[in-house]
Amino acid sequence: MWRSIVVLLCWAALARLARADPRADDRALLDDDTWRYRSTGDLVVDGGLVVGFPAALPTGLARGVGLGVSSGHQLAWGARAAWLTATESSLPWTVTHSDLRMRVTGAAQAAAGRGTIGLRLGLGGTLVNESRVRNQGMRAGLSGRALETASLAMLPAADLDVVVALHVAGPWLLVTSGGPSIDVVDSKLHGGWSAQLGVAWQP
Amino acid sequence: MRCAALISALGLAACDNVSGFGGAVPPLATIEVQATGDFAAVEVSDSDAPMLRVALVWGAQWLTEPLCILPPQDASAAALIAAGCRDPFGFVPDRVATNAPLAADGSARLALLDLPAADVMVGNVTARVAYGSLVVYDDRDGDGTLTLGRARRLPGREAGPPDDEGKASTDRVYAASFVSMTEPDQRLAFREGGFNRSAAFYPRSGCADPPPSFSIVSAGGFTAVAALAAQLQGVLPPEDPASCGEASTDTPVVVAYRAPDQLHQLACEERRRDSSIRYREPPADPPDLTGRVQACVAVPDFGSGQANGMIQLAISGRTGECLGLTHYVLRGCREDALCALPDWDITATPPSWWPCMSGAAR
Repeated sequence: MWRSIVVLLCWAALARLARADPRADDRALLDDDTWRYRSTGDLVVDGGLVVGFPAALPTGLARGVGLGVSSGHQLAWGARAAWLTATESSLPWTVTHSDLRMRVTGAAQAAAGRGTIGLRLGLGGTLVNESRVRNQGMRAGLSGRALETASLAMLPAADLDVVVALHVAGPWLLVTSGGPSIDVVDSKLHGGWSAQLGVAWQP
Repeated sequence: MRCAALISALGLAACDNVSGFGGAVPPLATIEVQATGDFAAVEVSDSDAPMLRVALVWGAQWLTEPLCILPPQDASAAALIAAGCRDPFGFVPDRVATNAPLAADGSARLALLDLPAADVMVGNVTARVAYGSLVVYDDRDGDGTLTLGRARRLPGREAGPPDDEGKASTDRVYAASFVSMTEPDQRLAFREGGFNRSAAFYPRSGCADPPPSFSIVSAGGFTAVAALAAQLQGVLPPEDPASCGEASTDTPVVVAYRAPDQLHQLACEERRRDSSIRYREPPADPPDLTGRVQACVAVPDFGSGQANGMIQLAISGRTGECLGLTHYVLRGCREDALCALPDWDITATPPSWWPCMSGAAR
């Protein structure tokens, strides 16, 4: 009984408040300006999640984060960095590679409606930090380098990415990119791929 | 430094010293083996030159069948046991882990790239151990590894799973570090976790525990009489502490050449490891008994009286093959000769060749 009375009173109060505030419609969560974007600047900063083929492993999936900056409209230049890790095993080894991918980029891009599509070429190097653990070594009592080794290498590398950016709201864009990559390991070309999904900020 | 310099210069040139899955794989342990003695004095001459190799063989946990350990009831049973039963205290191979060629000076290095698998270790995950014997053999089949044979059993009449015909090993064993618990031995041990001193897996009672991980342990051995006496008292047969040894794998394992007929069983694995017996219904036609020893012996019931004088025909394998017995009974089941509901019962109509006077007298 009391519960019903309280509910009816609340309804009545809400209806009265709504009639009393003439600007209630102006405070809607979504309005015509919500998805309006502006893209007047040349500078674009983006970041997101990156997946790809490890730079120096024959198998596996490397995962990490990437960050980039570019400047320009139809032709843009910039720099990118991504940090990815992958852990894979063979019978004797468990190998962890941490790849720091550093690129200087140049891109050709075109606007299409709210979006931008472009082709981006990146040149640079991938710094690979390798950690290898001898499987079963700890159980066998191995220690030191017989159990675990670490090494570092800088590999020349290049990426070619298709980049699609979509203006969402204000200065914010949704950006995805992906494409083949190549690096040099043991004087041999090592092909791979990488992809990124993230957001960008273009003031 | 070179690498660091290149990196600091945002070097685009490679200093690629990552190995990935490649490169040399360091062994988990390396075992040095040294064969001693006069090989020519024990060599069995063949037309081919011997290809001597060393194998690491992990041992199986094995119990002999009752007929082989109980006192023989007569001379024929004793002859059967001598011809068809392997040493109940002997090393029984389970799996060949690795092989290496023996150099002309009798030395060899065995690199262990894998730990013994869980199924060759005895104990639970908190305390388990594996023992291995270093075996010098002539790789007569040329497959690069010690080939393990299995006893050939005679066929039965019963319709059941196909008979395991066994297999022969042509490889000839000339030396081993661990032949029997009744002899001095050196064995490779792999211990993980604690050590169960009451475990009867190739026991070294009175010796120190094997060190964790790989080690070379040794013992002086005990007599069969002492082992049986200890068994009756419910304890493990003691070793002479002075004969015990525990050393790292840096210690070379020394093996002495012996006549191959003394070591043939080291190349024979066992079908059954729990002392259980598979009985067979005797076939209508007489089996080929050439080169075999047979005896009519009582079905063991350990004094319970269950057997009630039931007789079995036990037949050994052929000379030079892996040791094993074939058991025929006129009435029984494959798993149990004393089963209440027999799978076969031909006591009233035994085959014409059946040599035993009394059948199932239950």
